[in-house]
Amino acid sequence: MDDLYKEIILEHYQNPDHMGKIEGAIEAGEANMTCGDSLKIYAKVENGVIIDAKFEGGGCAISMAAVDMLLDNVIGKKLTEVKKMSGVEIEKMMGVELTPSRKKCAYLGLEVLKKLG
Amino acid sequence: MKNYKKYFLIFDKNADLHYLDSGATTLKPKMVLEKMMEYYTEYSANIHRGLYPISEKATEEYENTRQKVADFIGAKYPGEIVFTSGTTDSLNLAAAGWAKRNLKAGDEVMVTIAEHHSNFVPWQQLALKNNFKFVVSGEVTKKTKLLAINHVSNVLGTVTPIKSIIKKAREISPEICVVVDGAQAVGHMPVDMVDLDADFYAFSGHKMYGPTGVGVLYGKAKRWLEMEPTRFGGGMIKTVSTTESTWADGPEKFEAGTPPIAEVIGLGATIDFIKEIGRENIVKHEKELTDYLIEKINKIEWLKIMGLGISSGRLGVVSMYSEAPGMGTSHDMADILGREFNVCVRAGHHCAMPLHTQFGVETGTVRVSLGIYNTKEDVDELIKGLEKVWMTFIKK
Repeated sequence: MDDLYKEIILEHYQNPDHMGKIEGAIEAGEANMTCGDSLKIYAKVENGVIIDAKFEGGGCAISMAAVDMLLDNVIGKKLTEVKKMSGVEIEKMMGVELTPSRKKCAYLGLEVLKKLG
Repeated sequence: MKNYKKYFLIFDKNADLHYLDSGATTLKPKMVLEKMMEYYTEYSANIHRGLYPISEKATEEYENTRQKVADFIGAKYPGEIVFTSGTTDSLNLAAAGWAKRNLKAGDEVMVTIAEHHSNFVPWQQLALKNNFKFVVSGEVTKKTKLLAINHVSNVLGTVTPIKSIIKKAREISPEICVVVDGAQAVGHMPVDMVDLDADFYAFSGHKMYGPTGVGVLYGKAKRWLEMEPTRFGGGMIKTVSTTESTWADGPEKFEAGTPPIAEVIGLGATIDFIKEIGRENIVKHEKELTDYLIEKINKIEWLKIMGLGISSGRLGVVSMYSEAPGMGTSHDMADILGREFNVCVRAGHHCAMPLHTQFGVETGTVRVSLGIYNTKEDVDELIKGLEKVWMTFIKK
């Protein structure tokens, strides 16, 4: 059994670095009602580069940890590049292999990021 | 406490399986599978109008099941039993076949907040499209022409006192048509159509130890006469000309096309299985386990049972959630239970979003639902798993 709920994931879930709101930033959101997950991402973009990003919302540990880790990863990158990211990269970033039902949770953040702008 | 696992082949290959998701679908006993195999290997023909022995045999087995179902649920006539693909199909048939034809604009259609989406959405949509008034958990008045209500809640486990509700509803609105969702009841407690006096009663084979793909809509004989078929094709006609068609007289009128023959015959064997175990033994076994489960869950401080956390007036369906911060959601809980303990539970809204909204539990619940094969060891393993969930999330 791989350790899905390992310390680094729990740390991002329980003490997220990027929880919050950015006034005047671009934003996008998504609610996954069947899971009870809801997410809004705010991103400050200058010259096509994400210089800051935050999120608000609630949901399972996996979806919330994934979005926090994702924002860690994308700050400083070009939005157009970020939009090309795939789910596999999320799993690599989290260091776990996800079952089909949990992929839906972990990919939520990326789905919302792709809607930005 | 008796162990009924030996009736179920799945435990031969999964000895450590702790299956606590019978509310979603039950496991299937060997004798049901054998009966279906018998059909496929000994008389695998289409039913009705086959003038050769194996078709006659298949027809006989199929129609015998109709009689068995009627006897099992205390219906007056086998003709009151129509085979469908499941509870959802049954309820949609009642909505589109009876209500659409017999209600008029302005009539009130009432459901309860505790309905499964399959006994909620068909009525909501029917009302929207036909200008019926859709009422959720209101008070029955003379204007209430239809009441759709569950016999046992698939989330709360509560046994609804439908007999007295139906009696009262008829005193207020004599013509009221009462449609009961019996999906969570039929496999776990005795039901009697004459005694309950429902107009329609819907249930699935696969939630009562039977095959998937088959369900039943019971309807009072007079209600079937008020109905029009909603699906057309072979098997449901009396005559067809180039300009018009007439319908068969019996339940066949509502069973267009080749029905799920093996599954219907398997459902017959399911009833034989339940009789072999004994309905009173099923009730007793599940009651003892439910009491044990509730007692154990109530001892866990960080968990709350949705609805009444008591063991009377309910069956073995228990939904729970945590309000402790940082404890994840029902999906995290179910994931850990499944992955690490092979404890199979369901997470989410269990097709009852309005009910979860009402309780303010938007992120869903973990639902444990019992079956005849469960033992105290299954509950113990669940409790062990829940302790692990706590240990996983507790802040270090």
